[in-house]
Amino acid sequence: MKGLAVSLGLAGRNLLLVRRVPSVFIPSLIMPLFILIATSGAFHGIGALPEFAGASYLAFTIPMAATMGAGFAGINSGMTVARDLEGGFFDRLQSSPAPRVALIMGPMFAALVRSIFTTTIVFIAGLIGGVWLPGLLPLLLIYGFALLFGACASCWAIGVALRARTVQAAPIMQLVVFLSVFMSVAYVPASALHGWLGNVAGLNPVTYILTASRSAELTGSIIWSETWPGLVAGFALLILLGIFALAPLRHLENR
Amino acid sequence: MTAAIPVIRQTAALAWRSIVTTIRLPQAWFPALFFPLVLMAIFTASFGGAPGTIPGFPPMRSFLDFAVSGAIIQGVLIGGTSAGAAFATDIEGGFFDRLVASPTSRTSILTGRLGASIALGVGQALLFIAIAAIFGARVDGGLIGIIVVVVIATLFAAAVGGLGIFLALRTGSGEAVQGMFPLFFALLFFSSAFFPLDTMVGWYHDVAALNPITYLVESMRREIIGGATIWTALTGIGIALGLALITVGASALALRRRLRVSA
Repeated sequence: MKGLAVSLGLAGRNLLLVRRVPSVFIPSLIMPLFILIATSGAFHGIGALPEFAGASYLAFTIPMAATMGAGFAGINSGMTVARDLEGGFFDRLQSSPAPRVALIMGPMFAALVRSIFTTTIVFIAGLIGGVWLPGLLPLLLIYGFALLFGACASCWAIGVALRARTVQAAPIMQLVVFLSVFMSVAYVPASALHGWLGNVAGLNPVTYILTASRSAELTGSIIWSETWPGLVAGFALLILLGIFALAPLRHLENR
Repeated sequence: MTAAIPVIRQTAALAWRSIVTTIRLPQAWFPALFFPLVLMAIFTASFGGAPGTIPGFPPMRSFLDFAVSGAIIQGVLIGGTSAGAAFATDIEGGFFDRLVASPTSRTSILTGRLGASIALGVGQALLFIAIAAIFGARVDGGLIGIIVVVVIATLFAAAVGGLGIFLALRTGSGEAVQGMFPLFFALLFFSSAFFPLDTMVGWYHDVAALNPITYLVESMRREIIGGATIWTALTGIGIALGLALITVGASALALRRRLRVSA
């Protein structure tokens, strides 16, 4: 209970930073919108491939932009931890009786709140572009998958921050999140991928998260056969990256 | 003529210093090589089925041929941003003031940095063509086609380098110059760098049609995929030259203003 209170307190502090240091956070809010507009605008024509079965390319892109937006929010939580490590705030937290897990959960909760915000922006942009909402349950599922990926990205970025102890590690946090999305079914369905990317995407958990989210967006219903692989892949990735984020905490105490 | 020799020597020395500094800092050159090549590979694997299949995308040997010119322009843009940021770091760190206090020619401060941007742009263009060739891409225009592509990349590198120097001189902050990167990235996406103009629709098509990068990329692309004429080549060269004249002129004015203020 105490851990939850501390986590929520730290999440609140993280969210306050959005207002206090806007130059750091505004790009992460704008980028999902840019990705949606730029991807659906530049590659609009690819939607004519038979693999799309006549689906709107803007609707096809919405789950990817929402996922990427959540990824950016996760990266920002890692950058916040790195700044706190550089500034000494993290050391003060460690010397307090706060549960160690709260040091990770706090920034992650903040990332999840920002993910809800960025996903909402993406849906509003989709509405302006003429893509109607897919229905309540599919909509919640898309939000859920975005949050799941945001939590994964947050664990990754916090794990990197705790090891590197500097915000200069931000490019490593960003690069892996970018590549994990781009080397999946980000732009076309799996059946339209050629060569090496088909093999890599098949092994990439983000492929299954995007496929499940996209299925909800495009069909307006929850197709279980496409949803469960996304849930399994997403939660498996979250457990692995959660361990990656938690592992350095014990090591940090000995410094 | 004799007066020009020290300027040329100083330009070469400052350009060499910039190139060596760039090579020593992986964060300065890695993104300019890595991101364009990775995106080229991902787009080729994602959109390989598009040429000749979707309306507005003519048939061609492979999507890789189509993607090379966009990758070169992207690499030059990222490299130019890093070069501008490095120049701003020189200003922040005091190297620029030491140069100004020395008998170094004012022209060479500008041409040295531009020379480095151009050298890196030429290197990137040749490297990207070579790497794409390893994976099966071909330049339809042959040697002349490669020369045209490299000339456009060179002039565009001068244009982006000039813009980077201008921003560095006006802001004196590496962070501010790097902060322009998202805008450059947007310029690239709102063009035909990654997909043909004829496949775009509505306002997005109109914006891309007004974007000069579209015409640079198309000019280079014609040399690679085929269909180049003297006019397509001259269009690309002319636009790149015009952009270079504007940004280099602006950076010269910014240098003069900065020298006047600091005097």
